[in-house]
Amino acid sequence: MPTISLPGSRLNWPRGLVVTTACVAIFLPLYLIFYQSFLSAPFFMPGTTFGLDAYRFIFDDPDFALAFKNGIILATGLAAIAVPLGGMLAFLMIRTDLPGRGWIAPLLLVPIFVSPMVMGFGYVVSMGPVGFYSTWAKQLLGFIPWNIYSFTSIVVIAGLTHVPHVYLYASSALKSLGSDVEEAARVAGASPLRVMLDVSLPMIMPALAYAGVLVFFLGFEVFGLVLVLGDPEGHLVLATYLYKLTNKLGTPSYHLMAAVAVCLVMVTLPLVMMQRWLLKSANKYVSIKGKGARQKLMPLGRWKWIALGLLGAWLLVTIVLPISGIVLRSFVQYWGEGVKLADVLTLQHFRDILEQHSLMRGILNTVLIGVIGGALAVVCYCAIALAMHRKPDGITRLLDYSVLVPRAVPGLLAGLSFLWVFLFVPSWLDGMLKATDNGAAAWLSAHAIPLLRELRSTIFALWLAYSVVWLAYGMRLISTALLQVGPELEEAARAVGASRGQVTRDVTLPLVKYGLLGAWLMVFLIFEREYSTGVYLLSPGTEVIGAMLVSLWAGGSADLVAALSFINIVLVALGLGIALRFGVKLHN
Amino acid sequence: MNELSVNDLHLDYGSGAQLNPILKGVSMHLQRGEVVALLGPSGSGKTTLLRAVAGLESPKSGTIDIGERRVFDGASDFEMPAEQRSLGLVFQSYALWPHKSVFDNVAYGLRLRKLGKGEIDSKVGEVLSQLGLGHLGARFPHQLSGGQQQRVAIARALVYNPPVILLDEPLSNLDAKLREEARAFLRELIVRLGLSALMVTHDQAEAMAISDRILLLNNGKIEQQGSPQSMYETPDTLFTAEFMGSNNRIPGKVMSRNGSAVQLEVAGSTIHGTARGSNSGSEVAPLIRLEEVKVSATELANSLELPLLTCMYLGDRWECLFASGEISLRAYSSYRLEAGRYWLHLPADKLWVF
Repeated sequence: MPTISLPGSRLNWPRGLVVTTACVAIFLPLYLIFYQSFLSAPFFMPGTTFGLDAYRFIFDDPDFALAFKNGIILATGLAAIAVPLGGMLAFLMIRTDLPGRGWIAPLLLVPIFVSPMVMGFGYVVSMGPVGFYSTWAKQLLGFIPWNIYSFTSIVVIAGLTHVPHVYLYASSALKSLGSDVEEAARVAGASPLRVMLDVSLPMIMPALAYAGVLVFFLGFEVFGLVLVLGDPEGHLVLATYLYKLTNKLGTPSYHLMAAVAVCLVMVTLPLVMMQRWLLKSANKYVSIKGKGARQKLMPLGRWKWIALGLLGAWLLVTIVLPISGIVLRSFVQYWGEGVKLADVLTLQHFRDILEQHSLMRGILNTVLIGVIGGALAVVCYCAIALAMHRKPDGITRLLDYSVLVPRAVPGLLAGLSFLWVFLFVPSWLDGMLKATDNGAAAWLSAHAIPLLRELRSTIFALWLAYSVVWLAYGMRLISTALLQVGPELEEAARAVGASRGQVTRDVTLPLVKYGLLGAWLMVFLIFEREYSTGVYLLSPGTEVIGAMLVSLWAGGSADLVAALSFINIVLVALGLGIALRFGVKLHN
Repeated sequence: MNELSVNDLHLDYGSGAQLNPILKGVSMHLQRGEVVALLGPSGSGKTTLLRAVAGLESPKSGTIDIGERRVFDGASDFEMPAEQRSLGLVFQSYALWPHKSVFDNVAYGLRLRKLGKGEIDSKVGEVLSQLGLGHLGARFPHQLSGGQQQRVAIARALVYNPPVILLDEPLSNLDAKLREEARAFLRELIVRLGLSALMVTHDQAEAMAISDRILLLNNGKIEQQGSPQSMYETPDTLFTAEFMGSNNRIPGKVMSRNGSAVQLEVAGSTIHGTARGSNSGSEVAPLIRLEEVKVSATELANSLELPLLTCMYLGDRWECLFASGEISLRAYSSYRLEAGRYWLHLPADKLWVF
């Protein structure tokens, strides 16, 4: 019998297009930041010259030095609080028979998915000078035992809200650790506390180190919390300094903002690359140890109540207080000392939102960018991941590092740089087209360029910025799913005659279908939460809840902020509920 | 006619300081209707060679031809992609696509070849019934037993009549009992369909049972090749002798040589053996297969007297361990031996001196 041979060869996956688009989307905004930082004025102003004026200005500004110092203190303090607590929490949740683990687990993720802007506001209305719990405490004690606006409080709150980040990495490392090493320590006479301190946590040191660098880095780009809590006493960090620069000189001081941005990126970029290196060594560590073995939970015994108390205290301060504060605040007319809760209950704030066209559009946009934008983002991430999938060559290595770069650009900066891209690219293209002087160029200049300019005030601009900001996160979700497809399943398809494109379509994609749906949900949650990226892209038509919270907060309308925050929390809770209902793994 | 020829194939992993040569100049051929086993310990390069033939690994130099078609040529840097080679490949893990039914798994190769629906149905039906899977077409892989999954994997590789079928450790994922049945089934299938097959295995018994010819690989090179019988009975090297069977190593010194006859001194006794391989020095490795050692209660020529340590029951026979000083010998016995001293006869033509 003759062998049945294949019809003629086909074209390969259009990888080049994906790679080029991804690189432009990643590097063009970054390039603009660097370019702008060496100009003496915004790039669109006539007569700008190259120079170091912008750097000279900010280095002479005492506020900048203060903000930088505060940033370092905040990041260090945050890591010092979050890493030990996160490690402990992971140990309790994963390795012990702590009661109530089942329902605590999803709660732990709340601070990750609720916007820090919302959290910060929650602390203000619950524990600020006239917050609910402050006034109640004052009634009981005669004084308020805390000052939420001090820098120490900000560091503590930031540390507590970043515990879940550490928890995620520590818990996945602990899951792959065989329980025999702990049992050996128990048998040798160690209490649960000693087991945790002497065996479990030291064994997951690489994961903890990775999480430590991660939260240090996150601490460096904290924006919302400091914006809300640092304002009354004037505490600045780099991100809020950058935000305030907008108004500092009256005119748009893009060159100064760019210089600050470059300074920020200079700190964060090495941290991101260090994370990558640590992650690699952490993975190595885990795989050397090999089998996760069977997991036997460790009985806590009398330690149970201490552990539960510790966990309860954390939940109370990090989740219950701020969230309940927002819920209360969104349903009361006003609040202050001597006000009775029952007298001031109202739905008026939500009615106000219903009547304000821009706010309603913002809510709709937030949902749209989460659902549709999230799906589109997953499609794009998937295309990039497939361009890298099992093709170990130079392009893959380039992409591998490139997708991490946006991680180093805080959302606020990314929004700003995309604003510049949308201002800069059309005028640059226009100039080029006008210079070429032919019919087609003139037509393009007359018709295509205005279209490009209009993109800035559409939700597309926002979606693009969101997608690039969360590129590294999304890529991790997708590549985790892709890695679960055994290479031999794809090789088997090639052996029977499928080209790379057909392998992707017929084998790889159908197999990662559920992983992609899960990724969609995660990206939805992240896009609902995002607030800083939209700040500079905020214009009629591109309102989203996150960015509106920042601008409404600046305008001082606490009622609307409370109601919008409540709506935001509801959206996130819906997403989380769906995720839990369908058993989407919220972390790996 | 050669269905497959591999000529002086070199393949490295890594580069620069981490360069790790896997294949160091392997040549082989496979004739129509022949089954060749690639045998060797792990790390010898046997799976890499199979994957290079399939087009899943990129060699550095050498050539690979499938029939008349050159599919790899290191000199002109030509490498035909795996999907155009039209080979059948059966994976160790079977690699059945979990999202496709048995029918769709098998039909996929035909769909890629743009066959009509009727033709696909009849060809898939035919190959499934040849493999005794006729009634399982609608099932999904996770609903099948290990043995059935393996047969689906074979059906998938056979359906478009590849010139050569490549099998990567086809039996190693089955449990011990099933493996023997599958071995007989595979041999019967290959003979019935007249397949040309290249099979990777690390189990010499499996290689001898299924193949017409064995290629023994050692550290990226072919150590020896030949029929199963010649590989087992007349190994050319110590490595081949040790790999192909169960052996006793006997510590001995050369006293004299006379042609291929070697006189050894073993723990004070004089023992006659036969030289094999190219070693003509005085440092030698005398070796005898377990089944060639004869146990006797009375004195015999060319034998060692040793005390019995213990006997292990193997079902069809006993394996007995004798030891004294640095000498330790294992031999088979058809009944349980009483404690005591025995004479172990080592036939001179079966005691190989490498």
